[in-house]
Amino acid sequence: MTVERTVTIVPEAGLHARPASAFVQAVNDHDAEVSAGHPDGDLVQAASMIAVTSLGVGQGDDIKLVADGPDAEAVLDELERILTTPEEELDTDDG
Amino acid sequence: MAERTLHGTGATPRSGVGSVVWYGRDIALPDPDNVDIDPETEIEQFADAVDTARAELESEREATAERVGEDEAAVFDAHIQFLEDPTIEDAVETMIDEGLPAPNAVDAAFGEHIEQFEGMDGRMAERADDLRDVRDRLLRLLTDGERVDLGDLPEGSVVLAERLTPSDTAQLDPERVAGFATVTGGRTSHAAIFARSLALPAVVGVGDALESVEGGTEVVVDGDNGTLLVGPDEAERAAAASDSGTAIVDESVETTDGRHVEVAANIGQPAELEPAAERGADGVGLYRTEFLFLDRETPPSEDEQYEAVREALDTFPDGRVVVRTLDIGGDKRIPYLDLPEEENPFLGERGIRRSLDPDSDLFATQLRALLRAGADGAGDLAIMFPLVATVEELDAALDALDAAVADLESREAEAADPEVGVMIETPSAAFMADELAARVDFLSIGTNDLTQYVMAADRENERVGDLHDPTHPGVLRAIHRTVTAAHAEDAWVGMCGEMAGNPDLTELLVGLGLDELSMSAVTIPEVKTAITETEYSSASERGDRARLAATRSEVHTSLEP
Repeated sequence: MTVERTVTIVPEAGLHARPASAFVQAVNDHDAEVSAGHPDGDLVQAASMIAVTSLGVGQGDDIKLVADGPDAEAVLDELERILTTPEEELDTDDG
Repeated sequence: MAERTLHGTGATPRSGVGSVVWYGRDIALPDPDNVDIDPETEIEQFADAVDTARAELESEREATAERVGEDEAAVFDAHIQFLEDPTIEDAVETMIDEGLPAPNAVDAAFGEHIEQFEGMDGRMAERADDLRDVRDRLLRLLTDGERVDLGDLPEGSVVLAERLTPSDTAQLDPERVAGFATVTGGRTSHAAIFARSLALPAVVGVGDALESVEGGTEVVVDGDNGTLLVGPDEAERAAAASDSGTAIVDESVETTDGRHVEVAANIGQPAELEPAAERGADGVGLYRTEFLFLDRETPPSEDEQYEAVREALDTFPDGRVVVRTLDIGGDKRIPYLDLPEEENPFLGERGIRRSLDPDSDLFATQLRALLRAGADGAGDLAIMFPLVATVEELDAALDALDAAVADLESREAEAADPEVGVMIETPSAAFMADELAARVDFLSIGTNDLTQYVMAADRENERVGDLHDPTHPGVLRAIHRTVTAAHAEDAWVGMCGEMAGNPDLTELLVGLGLDELSMSAVTIPEVKTAITETEYSSASERGDRARLAATRSEVHTSLEP
């Protein structure tokens, strides 16, 4: 099952630093192939920190997410949560 | 005479002798045109290297979390993410298929992204360092390069490196390491400050000449003269080996005529607390809290700050710990604070000026953490505000402190009733010392900044290095004025700049009336000994002669025995 969603980035850091780290971690924790990119551009592997950060997506930008696999819906829900949560409220396990 | 003498900057006034171990040296790659490779084997070796690297990173992460802290350990999580990055993995495998040996493929794949990150803005540029670390780790594994474990070096090792990062120095075991020398870095670099706090012989900023010293060579690290002696002779070796410094004085000290002077440590990292106590510090005279805020992506929580201060208080159960509130300005890069670039950060919005920013709750959070730690910790908490220039700033800071107490009371949390003080660093604060002292329990003179501002001489600029000297009579008079004003208001006065740790100036400072001297742990035994050899009444006369001198050379003459 392939699902697709476009999300507007809320964290001030954009898709960099801690939000990017949480984003990649979430992709790796789910059973789904996920790709991401600018809505009208090429998509990159969402499991790659390098690829994701080099998209250069900042606060307020839209990002398109495409997921394929058993966890497709779940991973997009989680990614949307990360991308729409201000950084200081982002709940990750890094203390 | 040694075979060769290399010159750098002495970080610690200590010497040590030992055998060279290189850390993080560049790795030689195979010549791709001269090796026959079997892509399948190379890909397997790459996969094995990734597995081993992951295991290493996980165990280093654990060790760092335990020895230093969770925040410092977080860097290893980022390294693991890069290690497993599919973009890199795909690129390496493609290049191996095209005929490159695995090490060359790793070097090329990482190289491309390192360059890409370096070209991006500040925050991303730091990621280039992470990628470099991961690349070097893989290359060491692939080329059978020995991975030097800084935590497990043979006794008597002298570590040579291009540079040592905070995560490197955190792993160094001072019991086994005889010293270190680095290609880059100055007296105030992280590695140099760390070395001083552990009394570890160190020379930094030796330059590229250091690269020519082979592993296994015997060297003397002479931190007094800032030199590295390669192949020392018998006399040089013996002198370095016997340099264990002055005997440690654990008890508190007084002059021959019974004036008590407290000797405390300047602390910049929790790892420095225990070594400072072991070197005989009575307490902490300057606990810099910046380490809690640097090298991370979000501000530290109240609980995290509580733990750090609590640890300091528990290390000195019978002593006092003076915690300086956050002293950060435009010269330090803290991504999450989004500080504006300032033309002249040392005259900009730093210290208390930034803490009083009404749009930020950093200060309130920090004060609550301090007050809670002071209530629970074993030692006595004191709170000090940096870079105060006006009475209004001090009043606002005191209001913030009252508000923090009220906040905690409404939460039914216990708050300490700490001593409160002002750091005297600006000429204005020295002139206003009487008014400031009337409102607080103590003043502490930060001579590095006070000298910089009184003399209008940048402390980092060697061209005006002669002016940046606290023994100019202008600075001595500012110190004297501060001490006199404080004592008239029954406040005690400390000093927490580099000057306080210079045993040649101890008699002068005691004579000028300082009640407390706080310094890098390394010189505590010398300063304590110097105090016990000082007679206050004659030191006081000497102090008057020095401050009334017209020139620096007259000051120096007045200090001669």
